[in-house]
Amino acid sequence: MSPRPTSPRPTLGVSLYSYGGDYLVTMTLEDCLADVADMGATDVEILSDTHIPGYPNPDPAWIDHWHSLLERYRLTPTCYSSWLDTRLYRDRGLEAAEAQAILLRDVELAHRLGFRIVRPKIGVVSLDLAPDPIWRETVLGVLPKAEELDVRIAPEIHAPTPIRSAVVEGYLELVRETGTDHFGLLIDTGIFQAAERTATHSDAVYVFGDPEPALRERVEREMRKPLAVDPRELADVLPYVVHVHAKFWEMTDMLTDPHIPYAEIVTVLLEGGYTGSLSSEYEGARDLYRASDMLRRQQTMLRTLLDRGGEDG
Amino acid sequence: MSSMLEREIIQQRGFRNVGEPTPTGFQVAVRCPYYRGIWASLLEDVELTVDGERYGASAIRWTLGGQTYESERLFSTREVRWPFDEPALLTVTRPGGLEPGLHEVAVSVTWRWSYIPVEMQPTTCRAQRALVLVR
Repeated sequence: MSPRPTSPRPTLGVSLYSYGGDYLVTMTLEDCLADVADMGATDVEILSDTHIPGYPNPDPAWIDHWHSLLERYRLTPTCYSSWLDTRLYRDRGLEAAEAQAILLRDVELAHRLGFRIVRPKIGVVSLDLAPDPIWRETVLGVLPKAEELDVRIAPEIHAPTPIRSAVVEGYLELVRETGTDHFGLLIDTGIFQAAERTATHSDAVYVFGDPEPALRERVEREMRKPLAVDPRELADVLPYVVHVHAKFWEMTDMLTDPHIPYAEIVTVLLEGGYTGSLSSEYEGARDLYRASDMLRRQQTMLRTLLDRGGEDG
Repeated sequence: MSSMLEREIIQQRGFRNVGEPTPTGFQVAVRCPYYRGIWASLLEDVELTVDGERYGASAIRWTLGGQTYESERLFSTREVRWPFDEPALLTVTRPGGLEPGLHEVAVSVTWRWSYIPVEMQPTTCRAQRALVLVR
């Protein structure tokens, strides 16, 4: 089989979220970037609240330092992942005007750091993760600045939200109404999880809600179940997809992912002409030094799949 | 540039008695248990246990960015951050402080995640660790 290096295809990146256990314990920001470059990835994604010292007002000297690191390791900044904390205040929900100010600040900071995509993680109002209705007014208010700075705003489609859902429909409606190409979707490949998760989830250290043991066990069991969206459904929305989180909890010694059908996903991405980033997001056990190893396994698998054109080779 | 952190939520560095010449209490440094830094207004509760003695939110003062706050006051601020790279210094009044030596310290922090359904909120993280108090 011959590789198809000439046709446009997804690029490979890493979200620094992956280094959650090691970051500032065994690895500095520079160590993380050096590791990403060392495994041959070209793109980097950061978390605003985590990786920017002094967020949301970093020292200008740090911004210079950031750019010099990108240059040193020849990395392209892709997605700046931020949050719209709709429950920011105890006594009331966030208002659209406040959310606009936050998103605007993130779009501007992302731009100063060289990012072309901002992912606001929007607070939810239902069990199936319907975003707080203020999202619409918030995005519409910030869109002109995003267009001016050429930054795309992309909410994340994450399990348990499938592609065929009111959530996705709502986002696409805004695109159709405005005709903007600066608002799109970020797809987290966890929605394609096809087998029950056996590996540890990095969030296992948290107690979500009622700490009653039987209830916790039920929640934990639910969280292991696959949403099992058919990867072919991705083709329907691919023109609107600006970024992909290549989610994983574990890779085997044979460099396979036991949970997420990457061969099928990569096939759909290649067939649909997706040229954005595949941003590795390791979300497994936070044992020290584990992320670097797991990321290399997944990057090798993704590289191989891209080289041979997906599942059929 | 950020300084490095200890892996555990509860940091050994920063554990000490406060008050001269007779200690009036003690301090322990706790890193933000989330994978991101947060606005302090997202916090809902805190509890500290040292050798089985429990201290609730009202008994704990927080130092962040060089400013010290009562818990309730901190939770209602608008602009205070608990940065990922800056452990909060928790201070408790305890006349005489703690004896030098090994202490079993536990902390529980509760805060709101906006992107998790409210039925599964708030989120709590508990940690415990044996710490050596020098003075």
